[in-house]
Amino acid sequence: MRAQFRSRIRLILLLIILATLGVLVRLYFVQIVHGDEYAQKADRQFASGGSGLFDRGSIYFTRKDGTLISAAALASGFVVAINPQTLADPEAAYAAIATVSSSTLLSHEAFSLAAAKKSQAYIEVAHRLSNEEGQALAARDLSGVQVLRERWRYYPGDSLAAQSIGIVSYGRGDTLAGQTGLETAYDSTLSRSGDSLYKNFFAELFSNVGNLLVNARDAREGNIVTTIEPEVQARLENDLVKVSAKYASRESGGIIMDPATGAILAIANYPSYNANDLQSIDPKLLGNPLVEHVHEFGSIMKPLTMTSGLDAGVITPETTYNDTGCITVNKASICNWDLKPRGVIPMKQIIVQSLNVGASWVATELGQERFRSYFTTLFGSKTGIDIPNEGRSLIGNLSTTQQVNFDNMSFGQGISVTPIQMIRALGALANGGVMVQPHLVSAIRLDSGITRNLEWGEKTPVFSPTAAHETAQMMTAVVDEKLQNGKAMIPTMSVAAKTGTAQLTNGQGGYYTDRFFHSFVGFFPSYSPRFIILLYTNDPQHVTFASDTLGTTFLDLTRFLIDYYAVPPDRGLPAQAGTATSTRSG
Amino acid sequence: MRNPRLHLPFSVVSLASGAVAVLVVAYIGLIAVVMSYAALTVEFSQSVRNDEAVVASLESAYLAGVARITSTDYAAAGYAKPLAEVFVRAESVTALR
Repeated sequence: MRAQFRSRIRLILLLIILATLGVLVRLYFVQIVHGDEYAQKADRQFASGGSGLFDRGSIYFTRKDGTLISAAALASGFVVAINPQTLADPEAAYAAIATVSSSTLLSHEAFSLAAAKKSQAYIEVAHRLSNEEGQALAARDLSGVQVLRERWRYYPGDSLAAQSIGIVSYGRGDTLAGQTGLETAYDSTLSRSGDSLYKNFFAELFSNVGNLLVNARDAREGNIVTTIEPEVQARLENDLVKVSAKYASRESGGIIMDPATGAILAIANYPSYNANDLQSIDPKLLGNPLVEHVHEFGSIMKPLTMTSGLDAGVITPETTYNDTGCITVNKASICNWDLKPRGVIPMKQIIVQSLNVGASWVATELGQERFRSYFTTLFGSKTGIDIPNEGRSLIGNLSTTQQVNFDNMSFGQGISVTPIQMIRALGALANGGVMVQPHLVSAIRLDSGITRNLEWGEKTPVFSPTAAHETAQMMTAVVDEKLQNGKAMIPTMSVAAKTGTAQLTNGQGGYYTDRFFHSFVGFFPSYSPRFIILLYTNDPQHVTFASDTLGTTFLDLTRFLIDYYAVPPDRGLPAQAGTATSTRSG
Repeated sequence: MRNPRLHLPFSVVSLASGAVAVLVVAYIGLIAVVMSYAALTVEFSQSVRNDEAVVASLESAYLAGVARITSTDYAAAGYAKPLAEVFVRAESVTALR
């Protein structure tokens, strides 16, 4: 009985040992004998987390209905590499690769030089082959030619919001990382450490139990959801291209923002670039001019001067002054744009007729200390927008005591701010006197599955709601009475706006008399705005006033937004629904 | 004095050898499980990435369509500006609005 038991034990042991040996022999053949062959086959089929395959989180646009559309994603395909040590026939290999894909293949001369480097075992010769192209080339099983998986950053919109989304490239190190825009600002969220695919099961189980429950990486890495609406962005960009083309401007830019939250729906500058064609990009275009560059905006500063005066109580909408057309301050002459006097007129006309003498008068009434206080609050700090390299305003004239400097600043000369600072400040007029923080990202969708909504709650009260409302009334009159001689008025929608035309600095302490910076700001509905639009065009040719260059563009965007978002009418319709009430000849 | 010898119904050496063999097989089996797990993880991850790339391609077509529609010159396409605009209160909205 005991001997029988022992023999059975030995038999089972023998079977187990044989099975073990069998497995070991099989592993030897798989991993050692045919290891390279299987590795190549696997490389053709799968991404290898440990092989340096590029990985990065996505950036999304947000449509008006909440649908997410990729602004930056990953594309996958194949890279072709040669091993000069085993490449038997370079000419045949080149011809075979060229047959499949020639767009990214090295030139014949460069390929021959690469094939001659017998000391090297791996040289990449063609990139970004499609799946079909890669599979076709791999099927030919060319000796010395490897077809491997690769992934790269891809921007489905090409140039859409390119300067805000940013680019990914090699910086100082050998790692792909965000270099501009949101790619940089949220690089720590978007970048992937690359070793997440292969995990040591035992190490995870025994030495890092905590990570099995809460993975710190998954709680940090994720995708970015922006507030940019792709169709609004496309519309803005298209309009800016038209303006630049029509007036041969050096550049044109625009921002569309929700004045209540600071969420930016569109932000664009022309010229821009195609983010999928990095080799053709002019490096000067890589930044975001709307955040980095400062300009003297001209008369769109007047509503801020006016609101400061109203808020301080030094003027009311009914206050009058005597407009003489020109005044002399500190031996300098300040004149209206047409040099003409208006006589005794109320405050509203300063905004409606864009009178420099009137703005100077308000600044004088306000006094330097209060003017300094208001404008320091408005422009003394960066906005904190989530785009890198934000520029700082040039407000040195606020520190002087010469009244002429304050008078100039009252109508937007002698003070340089970024477009994003300008729309934040003007947004206060559309938001009950409170400035909000402009931003481009609303949420981060973490890999852990949690969506973290970002808080952009920084609010800076500047003006009283009453002062902001009174200025909005004056700006509404600009559209209803002045813009396109009143034809711009929309019967069912109050729209507040202001034009700005500033002389460009000549770099020698003075200003050109025939070169201008045009700007335009507007918001609607005037007394409960959903959108604020800031536009500018720099150095337009053969045109003097912003109402000519940007008025049509502003109205086009306004009508588009009203229709696209179905903004309900705020005037011109009776209580009964469905009644056609106003008709206007087109 | 002699210590009484402990008599077991089996050989300790055989038992230990058997245990070692079982552990070796179990170890190899676990390695196989881990490798399979890693391979499946990679495969699923790659599958997700490939699907995302396909979606991005579709989104690219959508955005190209948006750009094309936005830049269409309707006057050049033969459409005329309306002679008059009538403003009415919206009674209903589409699903997307």
